[in-house]
Amino acid sequence: MKLRQLLALLLALAMIAAACSSGDSDTDTAEDTSSDTDDAMEDDAMEDDGESHAGLDIDAIMAADLANCADAPSGDPIRVGMVMDFSEAAGFVDVPGSEFTPYVASLINCSGGINGQPVEVEVRESGADPALATQELIDWGAHFFIGPPFADATLPMQQTGGGEYAIFAAASTEPTLADAENNTFLVTFDDVGQSTASAEFALAQGLTRAIIFTEGEGVPYSGVNPDAFKTAFEAGGGEIVSEQTYVWFGDTDFSSQVNEIAGVADGSEVFFSAGAGFQITALRAQMEGQGLNDITYMGTDAFDATGITFDPGAEGFIHTPHYLIEDGGTFAGVLADSGVESDAPAFMPLYIDSMFLGIQGILDCGCDDPSGIADAVKNISGFEGVSGTITYAGTNGIPPKAVQIVQVQDGANVLLDTIG
Amino acid sequence: MTELLQNLIDGLGRGSIYALLALGVAVVFGIMHLLNFAHGELITIPGYLTYWAFQNNWSWWTVVPLIIVSAVLTSLLIERIAFSRVRGAKDFTLLLTSFGVHFIVAAGFLLYVGAAVKPYPRPDWFADTVSAGSLNVEVFDLVVIGVTIVVLAGTTWLLQRTMFGLALRAAASDFDTARLMGVKSDSVIRGAFALSGFLAGIAGVFWIMREGQMTPTAGIPPMLQGVLAALIGGLGSLRGAVLGGLVLGLAEVLLRSWLPVGIQNLTTGFVFVMIALLFIFRPGGLLSVPQVERV
Repeated sequence: MKLRQLLALLLALAMIAAACSSGDSDTDTAEDTSSDTDDAMEDDAMEDDGESHAGLDIDAIMAADLANCADAPSGDPIRVGMVMDFSEAAGFVDVPGSEFTPYVASLINCSGGINGQPVEVEVRESGADPALATQELIDWGAHFFIGPPFADATLPMQQTGGGEYAIFAAASTEPTLADAENNTFLVTFDDVGQSTASAEFALAQGLTRAIIFTEGEGVPYSGVNPDAFKTAFEAGGGEIVSEQTYVWFGDTDFSSQVNEIAGVADGSEVFFSAGAGFQITALRAQMEGQGLNDITYMGTDAFDATGITFDPGAEGFIHTPHYLIEDGGTFAGVLADSGVESDAPAFMPLYIDSMFLGIQGILDCGCDDPSGIADAVKNISGFEGVSGTITYAGTNGIPPKAVQIVQVQDGANVLLDTIG
Repeated sequence: MTELLQNLIDGLGRGSIYALLALGVAVVFGIMHLLNFAHGELITIPGYLTYWAFQNNWSWWTVVPLIIVSAVLTSLLIERIAFSRVRGAKDFTLLLTSFGVHFIVAAGFLLYVGAAVKPYPRPDWFADTVSAGSLNVEVFDLVVIGVTIVVLAGTTWLLQRTMFGLALRAAASDFDTARLMGVKSDSVIRGAFALSGFLAGIAGVFWIMREGQMTPTAGIPPMLQGVLAALIGGLGSLRGAVLGGLVLGLAEVLLRSWLPVGIQNLTTGFVFVMIALLFIFRPGGLLSVPQVERV
């Protein structure tokens, strides 16, 4: 064999080795961080259980009539900086979120502002340089930030702000992103919370056999969610009869996985994955094509993000959205009045709750310096937001929120249970 | 055994779509030495039209011709707007131009249509199966394989039995000599892009049906599979492109099935390693063709 061919062969073998070691490394990192999070939560548990101060009347704000406003507030403005990801990865939530938040700020101002202070919202696209977007908003005078759901943007934001600004990762459920020490907060339950709740719900329904789809142990979101489901399901006495891999937000042909599942499943199982709606509907059709007709399908908040409840194939799916929007309810009315079109409307309360939480921090500390505001946010407890009750005191930045278990019935989401 | 047979049929079904995509890539490469990384847009644009059509209550019976016609028109439009301006330029310039087309189209959809997933219903029969003993075969795979056979037969007839085919093959063999012999370059190039668009349109029908949704970068996976399959088969070889597509489809499905649990998500990585090994021993692909250096 010629030397060039031998080198190429060695290169190919090195690629296999690198791919394998890379997977191991990811897993270790995720596990380490997860255990750090748990430790931090235990260490900090309830050091400060003070209730949030009053002063923010969310019901009145949401009921404000833009055609009939109070006198315009004239104090120093409260400045909310939004660094948003408008790319394909997060644009489906960050684009409408960045339109809806300023609208709700206009409702705040219409109802007289916050103790006479108007609220201003400035949006910057994170693009390829979230640090620059953050710096521009710091220069503008932002008091706190609402950030995109992924660490690749949130970490540069944190570094640019020197860890002194409160950053709310509005649409994120990524547990490793929360870091109260550096003032970065989730606004909703994390992946472990939603998937553990799903496992508990499945067991409570008498489902003891499960099929899970994962992108690999420890892989953020697409792996962490099934990991958490598996842990909770097995701890509760359930059995994982088949564990399959797939490409999240990619695969729609699951032929080889279904061929394997058909060999071990009897059709009575619960299926769980963090897959997108269009993936699970494709998989379900292929499963039913193989005669597996009675499987219960469960998913995460990603299912809600892909606007597919209209699809007959989605009927009966159980998932964990961030907010169950009631037809004719206050929130539905405000969202409709805003004119914001969103394919993932259940995420929208998280954006405005981010703004309300930052404002609550300002009210609690009675200050306008970012680090003082962030310190106050850390101690928020029992905050009644639009999306539910939020507490940061004693946590690492992941609020222990209740998880709604919802099923698609006749093309609409129906609440089955609330866990936590 | 049953699982192996099912996987073989699944692999052939998947590979048939790749074969059609690869053939479209190979046709254009043969004429212009252009490895067209904008080939995926021939699925993205019809995909968004599919979404629009279902929003307006069209059915698959009318959407299928829409996909094919729009893929052909898109291919011709891209040639007219982008590639005709750099005709005769170096291969690298053509390659960068194709990247540019892809990024402009993706950015256009992102800006003016939005980042959100645009879902549409799959056809009712897409996951139906027919049983033969213990074997459950997806009707979708059978239809894909059947249509691919018919399209490949038609393409072979077109290339072997018509003046256009003769001109195309002559131009692919030696473009400058073909021009000296009276072949009209504009017609041949446009014809090649139209044929490439038609093949992408047929593949696109099945790809779009299977996906059930569209996003601005949805064209990347089919483009990559088409280019990869063309490379495996041997760039410039039309037969090689078809063979490359089938090999790629089978490799994906069988590797996914055979790899041990825990490393199955490295299937794509293993496919690339196999391609690297192939190029070590057959640098020109499975059916390499002699390349004429343009000066």
